[in-house]
Amino acid sequence: MSMHTGAPVGVGVPLLDARERVTGAVPFVGNMRVPGMLVGRVLRSPLAHARIRSLDAAAARAIPGVVAVVTAADLGRETGPVLHYGRNVKDQEVVASKMVHYVGEPVALVSAETEEAAEAALAAIAIDYEELPAVYEALEAAQPEAPRVHEGMDSNVFVHAKLRHGDVDAGFARADAIVEETFTSPVAQQTSLEPHVAIAQWADDALTVWTASQAPFAVRTALAGVFRVPEPSVRVVVPPIGGGYGGKGGMRVELPAAVLAWFSGGRPVRVLLSRAEEFVTVTKHAASITIRTGIRRDGTLTARQITCHWGTGAVVENSAALVRGALVRLVGPYRIGAVQVDSYGVYTNLPSAGAYRGAMSSQATWAYESHTDALAKAIGMAPVELRRKSLIRSGETFATGETLHEVYFHECMEACLAKLGWDAPLAQPGGHLRRGRGVAVMMKSTNPVSRSECRLELGVDGVLTIYTGTVEMGQGTHTALAQVAAGELGLPLERVRVQGPDTALVPFDTATNASRSVGMMGTALLNAAAALRERLAGAAAPLLDLPPDQLSVAGGAVASAGGRSLTYAAVLAGAGLPSLDATGEHATNVGLDPETGQGVGSPHWHQGAGACEVEVDTETGRVRVLRYVGASFAGRVINPDLARLQNDGNVIYGMGPALLEEMVFDAGRVVNPNLSDYQIPSLRDTPDWLEGVCIEHEEGEFHGIGEMTLPPVAPAIANAIEDAIGVRVRALPISAERVLRELDA
Amino acid sequence: MDYHRPTTVNEALALLARLGDDARVLAGGTALAIMLHNRLVAPDALVSLERVEGLRSVEGTPDGGLTLGACVPIAAAAAHPLVRRHAPALAHAYGVVGNVRVRNQATVGGNLAEADYASDPPAMLAVLDARVRVAGPSGERTLSVGELLVGAYETALEPGELLTHVEVPAPAPGLRAAYRKFTSRSSEDRACVGVAAAAALEGGVCRSLRVAVGAACEVPTRVPQAEALAVGQPLTPALARRISEAYAEAVDALDDLRGSAWYRRRVIAVEVRRALEEVAG
Repeated sequence: MSMHTGAPVGVGVPLLDARERVTGAVPFVGNMRVPGMLVGRVLRSPLAHARIRSLDAAAARAIPGVVAVVTAADLGRETGPVLHYGRNVKDQEVVASKMVHYVGEPVALVSAETEEAAEAALAAIAIDYEELPAVYEALEAAQPEAPRVHEGMDSNVFVHAKLRHGDVDAGFARADAIVEETFTSPVAQQTSLEPHVAIAQWADDALTVWTASQAPFAVRTALAGVFRVPEPSVRVVVPPIGGGYGGKGGMRVELPAAVLAWFSGGRPVRVLLSRAEEFVTVTKHAASITIRTGIRRDGTLTARQITCHWGTGAVVENSAALVRGALVRLVGPYRIGAVQVDSYGVYTNLPSAGAYRGAMSSQATWAYESHTDALAKAIGMAPVELRRKSLIRSGETFATGETLHEVYFHECMEACLAKLGWDAPLAQPGGHLRRGRGVAVMMKSTNPVSRSECRLELGVDGVLTIYTGTVEMGQGTHTALAQVAAGELGLPLERVRVQGPDTALVPFDTATNASRSVGMMGTALLNAAAALRERLAGAAAPLLDLPPDQLSVAGGAVASAGGRSLTYAAVLAGAGLPSLDATGEHATNVGLDPETGQGVGSPHWHQGAGACEVEVDTETGRVRVLRYVGASFAGRVINPDLARLQNDGNVIYGMGPALLEEMVFDAGRVVNPNLSDYQIPSLRDTPDWLEGVCIEHEEGEFHGIGEMTLPPVAPAIANAIEDAIGVRVRALPISAERVLRELDA
Repeated sequence: MDYHRPTTVNEALALLARLGDDARVLAGGTALAIMLHNRLVAPDALVSLERVEGLRSVEGTPDGGLTLGACVPIAAAAAHPLVRRHAPALAHAYGVVGNVRVRNQATVGGNLAEADYASDPPAMLAVLDARVRVAGPSGERTLSVGELLVGAYETALEPGELLTHVEVPAPAPGLRAAYRKFTSRSSEDRACVGVAAAAALEGGVCRSLRVAVGAACEVPTRVPQAEALAVGQPLTPALARRISEAYAEAVDALDDLRGSAWYRRRVIAVEVRRALEEVAG
């Protein structure tokens, strides 16, 4: 049996649903109307930390059109939803019972026939709060005397992850220079254009939820836990979604929708967050990272010590795993004699932080790649030369003690430098404008433990259907999977269909996150395709009167060496089969020792780089990114057009937190919870010239590229600014005002 | 909420008189919709100007001035041949408002009546000596832009009054004008600092100079003593610097998400100078 890898892989075909995306025909959850659907709304805490003295919802319940008002008193009974829940730590309540811990925390839920009735009910719920001291900054919250975010806890630090590799003291002692710097990143927004939205309906003790989620199976598990029902009683359906960026990676809006539906007598309930609610639902972790490195005059890095405080908000959700996972994302892609990392997850009285495209790596790369330029400066070496000397290579040992393979940091960086024209003279426009160039390289882990299953079903009509839990969110993974399947079975792309996430129809997948889908689901698909070819050969064998191992399955037909062949449809018809299916799986299970951070940090290491040219107005501090090249290691590219869009999209997205984005708080209340006061890049802010490179290698595997060119953006820009005007910005965003203050300093 | 669609100015005035404080005037709605959404206002009625006749045209006056109806969309004002010919800097100021979606919807009159300090056109209108025509229960009156805008989101319009037209006088001979919008964040942000400048130049000598700083302060701010420095002088780089520094010192700069007062004063010094360099050619 020979394997067929057909033309579709490596070809730039448009997104399967490109036409629908452009014409507005994508069936987003927000456009769905289920008969009898009610409006679900959440009443939220106006205070960052307070005790609820009393809550009276009687008036709200009496409003005409109001169907259900849910308060903590309705929860945690013998049946129905529990009160307390949490992904790692049960530190969340469906609605607050006695205390609120951040502005925006749910305190009551309302379902109603109309928006107006729901609105009136929210206004009619009377709550008396006793305000308590609050703490907003992670470093401050980590102090022993800081007010506790949750009563009765010894400390606001809920996790302290450690990595210990080699003798850092000895390393520092050997150094010719030691550089220590602190870099900060503020709380920011994932900013999906489509907000969180879910519709939930109960029927016969079974729950169906239609939701815009990146993690349908995780949502199913979480909802089953809240309602104490078996997982098969919960069906989660995810149509294509309008962006996620990590913010839709766990149960959020599905919970109030399902709880309200439970209390609404079988009526479906929709909860659609406003933009302001988005800002208090999930955020990017604030980070303060102190990094100290010893370096010898020849560029040898002798030791590195990193201390990072992550502000997580008032609930952990997935942050314990993210803060632990950050250990290996904080180090940087370098050969370093000894490494020590302390990564602290800290509760604050702010909205919850979660994954954010390039999770933790964006904050980490901002620190270590800005720092690389400072190290180069300290020994009088060009920043690129230091990277050439110190970037880690295949076969070398990383700070986790593991030997790295498939290492392409050098190639990523060199591709950027070559494309940008790093060595070409830089024309200075003169006057108050100064130009400079900068580069940055990043190394990121993917989920250490995760699993994807994929089922393929070939119909008697010759149409192949892919059953996959991978969420299509505009990144094009359904298109890429269809291309792979078409190639593996030698079918034209038009004969391949994709059945996306519906937990009643598709097999398990961990989540569409951490750029894992083409690698994990793609490999599961390859395995399913191999199994399906085998089944096809087995079904054709009696028809062709040959043993299966003498048959080849390719090009839509099963063939013998002698030239006899049957189309797939003929095989199924001849064998009397209505369809033929096969399932493939791919799982990874690696990890680190919890005390030392030694082990295997990631089944595959994400690699990316960026180089740019910026222009700084020295009178106003305004920075323009003139030219930018991003490179990612892709293994093998499935669709070069979509890969290019991922690279470019990462850069444009990354320019937001680099230059503009920051959630601003006043006593824990977001003061800019809209897209006028909170600015994301406009198309007019994109570089005049933007290029992307995907590094491939022969026989390469599929690797995700959904994040690789994002984390280098901020440090590449900061390094270019220093090259241009000689000042170093260490706090994000690199606002015009910040640059001007540094110029004055 | 009741929704009224009068067809004449008089009908609109009668409705406003009858409904009093419970009503709000709706023109393009780009500002009002956000205020409603954020519950900053909760009127019982909206009086929409969408069907009111006579508020949607741009006309030239015999002496070379312009009259813009209050309901002319900002995009239309920016693109109108008469505006581009008689007041190209004003066309530019209209052209840099918000983004294309806002410009297609927002109106010339609504833009002034909202009195949003971060808006671009008011500073330009102020230096062009524009006046607004206001219809009210006791007849019609006209106000200068400076008289109209009394504070951030605050105008001199009386209850029941309707801003109907914007009148831009004919440019003085040799008038050169410029508007500079400085954004500190994204390119589609509202201005951090806006500078409008108009100089009447004769043989390289400045006969008169008007400069207004907007977006950095509650209302477009002119500094007459600084403007006077230019009269009878060529607009040299040194003079431009002196004037811009005087503005930086005199303007009561605001602190907001687009910049601190310190930063705005720094940018005012830069952008006033650059505006003067533009008008000096």
